[in-house]
Amino acid sequence: MGTDQAHIDHIQTFHTLVVLVLPLLAAIIGVIVPSKYKIAGWISTIAILLSAVFAIGVFTGVWNVTTVHTQTLWFTIASTNVYAGIWLNNLSVLMLALVSVIAVPVHIYSLKYMQHDERFNRYFTYLSFFCFSMLALVVVDSLVLFYAFWELVGFSSYLLIGFWFTRDKAVQANKKAFIMNRIGDIGLLAGIIIIFAQFKTFDLVQLFGEGGLISQSVLTNGQWISPVGQMPELWQYIACGGIFLAVAAKSAQFPLHNWLPDAMEGPTSVSALIHAATMVAAGVFLLGRAYPIFNLYELNTLAIIGCFTAFMAATIALTQNDLKRILAYSTISQLGFMIMAMGVGAYASSLFHLATHAFFKCLLFLVAGVVIHEMQHIREENNLDIDPQNILYMGGLRKKLPLTFIAAIVGALALIGVPLTSGFLSKDGILIQAFVWAEGKSWIYQVMPVMALFTTWLTAFYVSRMIVKVFFGKFRLLDINPGIHLHISDGGWYYKVPLALLSFCSLFPLFSLNPLIYEHAWLFDGLKPSNFLERVNIYHTLVPIGVNILSVVVMYTAYALYVKRNYTFPQHTALFRLSYNEWYIDKAYNKGIVKAVLWISNALYWFDKNIIDGIVNVFRKVAITLSELAVWVDRYVIDGILYLLTVFVRRTGNLVRLFQGGKVQIYLYSMLAAVLLIFILKFII
Amino acid sequence: MIGLTDFLLVSAALFCTGLYMVVSKNNAVQILIGIELMLNAAILNLVAFGRFDKINNGGQVFALFAIVLAAATTAVALAIILNVYRRYKTIDPGKINTLGD
Repeated sequence: MGTDQAHIDHIQTFHTLVVLVLPLLAAIIGVIVPSKYKIAGWISTIAILLSAVFAIGVFTGVWNVTTVHTQTLWFTIASTNVYAGIWLNNLSVLMLALVSVIAVPVHIYSLKYMQHDERFNRYFTYLSFFCFSMLALVVVDSLVLFYAFWELVGFSSYLLIGFWFTRDKAVQANKKAFIMNRIGDIGLLAGIIIIFAQFKTFDLVQLFGEGGLISQSVLTNGQWISPVGQMPELWQYIACGGIFLAVAAKSAQFPLHNWLPDAMEGPTSVSALIHAATMVAAGVFLLGRAYPIFNLYELNTLAIIGCFTAFMAATIALTQNDLKRILAYSTISQLGFMIMAMGVGAYASSLFHLATHAFFKCLLFLVAGVVIHEMQHIREENNLDIDPQNILYMGGLRKKLPLTFIAAIVGALALIGVPLTSGFLSKDGILIQAFVWAEGKSWIYQVMPVMALFTTWLTAFYVSRMIVKVFFGKFRLLDINPGIHLHISDGGWYYKVPLALLSFCSLFPLFSLNPLIYEHAWLFDGLKPSNFLERVNIYHTLVPIGVNILSVVVMYTAYALYVKRNYTFPQHTALFRLSYNEWYIDKAYNKGIVKAVLWISNALYWFDKNIIDGIVNVFRKVAITLSELAVWVDRYVIDGILYLLTVFVRRTGNLVRLFQGGKVQIYLYSMLAAVLLIFILKFII
Repeated sequence: MIGLTDFLLVSAALFCTGLYMVVSKNNAVQILIGIELMLNAAILNLVAFGRFDKINNGGQVFALFAIVLAAATTAVALAIILNVYRRYKTIDPGKINTLGD
């Protein structure tokens, strides 16, 4: 039995490594292949397809069956051994399968979407590398490796967001994403260091596994006591704060969320991947991995921030006109739901929502990609000066793009959380558990589920608005420019297959045979804690009914407002401006932080230029003066002495030469002088 | 009464004159005359000391020999000067410097 288990572990580890290595190999090949052969796309696609097949194999082998933990000694510093390895449990195999499966349609779609791009190979290199980083992130078992892949995910998203780096906006966007993520990375690093200082290990299994070191540690009397050490309580909060900062940066939560809408400057297929499975999922995944470390207060904070983010992003999405920006804010909003779910203890629902959201958000982005692609096509064909992403120019596209329209409807319904879709199962789970959580607590806690409920109706409204503006009514561009030609269609199978695949995955059958009760979803079942409460109270029936009836009303209202009456909301109220300007958060950051940073930089620049350089200049002047002094001394004292010597020698020589002049009489003179001298001396002495 | 000191003073004056001529004159013949003056000063000394000597006329005889020798050396010196003049067309001893470098 033991050997069988080891054998199974061995196979699963090997398959997981295959899953990781294939995209990495594709990325390496993509670098090598010359850019005139556009084959990197096919290589990457086949690699990710095989990865997905293996990942599903690993998933079925591990899910609810076993956990695999394989590790090998990586390096040793003093007495600390750092191991590198793979930890497969329900959470990581779910993510492994999710990431690779989502990546497949995105790759297929990209083959067509990017086919005319000069840097086609480079695009797929980045994309494969991105997938590799994310896939590795979810399976590693050491905090050191986790941090490394965390950084690589951030780095490859930076490359992809700035893929069209000739556009200034793209460069700004990828810089913003990178800097925001760096702030989170600092938090994660601080958290890792504190955890290591407390528990003396980087091993995720030892730390966060069942009955691991973290679940054994307690906070008592202002001390954080673990089996291997203790430190003041404050550090526990700092560690959790750091981890939350990392989560907030990657998963775009409130203080650090505003890189995500700007990241829309990347190719749409990249947005689909970032929003669905790779980048933003990393934050929620980290939260899932590090869940045991959070205590009750911290979980409440998480819930509040998640709820606030969800609400804020939903209100912003109401008034945006850029198709991709609406979707970006809807992602932030849904991520807020996931974080809130983590906070209220709905761990399984949070990850369930992550999985379902991955499919329908990917689907919606690919739909947006098709629409934008066709708008771009119209723009180029007719030489128009329009923004192809602006939904105010669109309308009535359901007849031109029927398949895209159906896919969009499926995605939108899933996002709203209408029954029979996957979104319903996961989102209602979160709402119900939020109500259960708030029950019996003070009114401040009661506000949160209500706010979440309200957010779902807002979601229903802005999603309906978007769908209606894009697909219903009349084609507004045609109203403005009546003479334009329209040659648009759903595109080839490169577009159709991914859309169909993802549409299917956004419906309930993939997750549950019972479309109405979330507890029956197998995914939820595999992740829920063992002490999960059964359906005990009224919320389980009341919430879904209430949500959906009102959602339907809201959707119809949106349809009625925009299609039938062509209604426009007043655009100058304070609320509209607050929403349209994205709560002025970017502006506040620009004014508060960016300006302060610039001011400090300028001050430092001034300090550097005037004080530091000034000191250096003083030193320079002193040195110059000293050397001038030295030159003077050298020239007049040292050289002077030598000169004097030469003068003396010359004079002496001249004097001596006088006696040797060949004049006999002078010899006589000198003899006379010598004799006289002797006489005089003799006389004196 | 003329004493030894007077003789010695005259002799000294003669010697100094001769010495002055030897060191200051540009003409070899004049230098030769200076040499002769110095020689004569020495002879005068011999004669003066001879007068107070116990051996009779020893100083005078020695003086006679000295005069003869002086005449002989003068003859040789004049011959040399003549030869020098023939060769260099000058008798200034300062200009006869071809032995020097």
